[in-house]
Amino acid sequence: MRGGALPPALLCAALGLALSFAPRRIYPFALIVLVLGALAASFLSFPAVWQDGLFLGCWASIVLAALLIHLPGGIGAKLALAVALNSGFWAGAVIATAGVKLDLAKALPLALLCLPGAWVVSTKRGIALKVVASWLIAVSILGAALPLVPTPGYKPDHMD
Amino acid sequence: MQGLEPEIMSRSRSGYEDGRKCRPEKPHANHLCPNENARPSMAEDASYIEKTHAPKKLVISAALSSIRTVFHSGRKRLAGKLAGRGALALTTAVAMLAAGPAEAHMGTGLPGGFASGFLHPLTGFDHMLAMVSVGLWGAFLGRPLIVALPVIFPTVMAFGAFLGIANVPFPPVEIGIGLSVLILGCAIAAAWRAPVWAACLIVAIFGLFHGYAHGKELPSAADPIGFAVGFVLSTGLLHVAGIGIGLLNDRPGGIAVTRTLGGLVGVAGLYFLATAIFK
Repeated sequence: MRGGALPPALLCAALGLALSFAPRRIYPFALIVLVLGALAASFLSFPAVWQDGLFLGCWASIVLAALLIHLPGGIGAKLALAVALNSGFWAGAVIATAGVKLDLAKALPLALLCLPGAWVVSTKRGIALKVVASWLIAVSILGAALPLVPTPGYKPDHMD
Repeated sequence: MQGLEPEIMSRSRSGYEDGRKCRPEKPHANHLCPNENARPSMAEDASYIEKTHAPKKLVISAALSSIRTVFHSGRKRLAGKLAGRGALALTTAVAMLAAGPAEAHMGTGLPGGFASGFLHPLTGFDHMLAMVSVGLWGAFLGRPLIVALPVIFPTVMAFGAFLGIANVPFPPVEIGIGLSVLILGCAIAAAWRAPVWAACLIVAIFGLFHGYAHGKELPSAADPIGFAVGFVLSTGLLHVAGIGIGLLNDRPGGIAVTRTLGGLVGVAGLYFLATAIFK
């Protein structure tokens, strides 16, 4: 098992947290870009040898989205759209290479975290989101590091 | 597993040397039986079925069928034997009903995923006290460290885990962890108002040690990402618990309580350190 829908789900969650610090008017466009990007990438066929690289891109995108939260002044509209497109691509690519299309339905809704997140930011408690984002960064670093050693957890088992 | 292979190979070639029928000491070793004619006993069969999650209804049905055979057989000579088998089957069926489900992956060295990772920091007192102390010290120091420390610790801890996964040589981890509990406890007990840079540096260094210890265990998890998510979440929640305890500082006498708690943590840290050095 290699996480299934978990890496794309964490990516969408990180995007949702990042969008919490973006202007609200951009939310629908960013979410549409995310979904379209993910769907498009999920229909691409990637060589099997690219799998590690695609997972690495997914983890790096989580770190990127989580770090953007710390930008002074929040995230601009163009940057929000760019991050949404980037997140959609990597989420779709990971599912295309090591998942099933249904995993997208599990992962993408987590981007809606931007709605409660925006409320938390508006109540001047955005610092809580920054703490949660640091947890996502930690998980991503660990996820990126795991392929360094052969681990039994990556071998097919009775769940695969 | 490697240690068992010569024994298994030896059995598969020659069977049991002392001429026993195939009656292994451990029931789950039935599949290693070298002699196909040696039929395992019913109890062994039932035990094997239990290990393979057989539905209880099937076992009960087999037992009843056996008993029915006893009562409807006209051969009195066989009746005794069959009655014995029926009684055995009935006993087995009762045992089946009383047994719990088999637990997969037990004792295989693969602790699992999210749940194992989440419980991991909670089951080790040294980890747990250090995490809570980071939150408590952050609450004691106030802004910006009340937020900075819980942000820095998991991030640096992940780097430490990265070093552990990559098997990078590292100073004795247990001593570092014991030292972290001791120093954090003493900092709280002494109400040390450390400068921001010093507090961040101390917490970052200790985060490396704790992360390294986690990282050494991470690759053997059945679902490493789930394990990582679990223990990072658990770590973060322990920080939040520490911050929650630190809110006592705003109440009358609260600072004395938190400082006392810090002292107790320091004593525990001294114990962990001594254990790590003298073991």
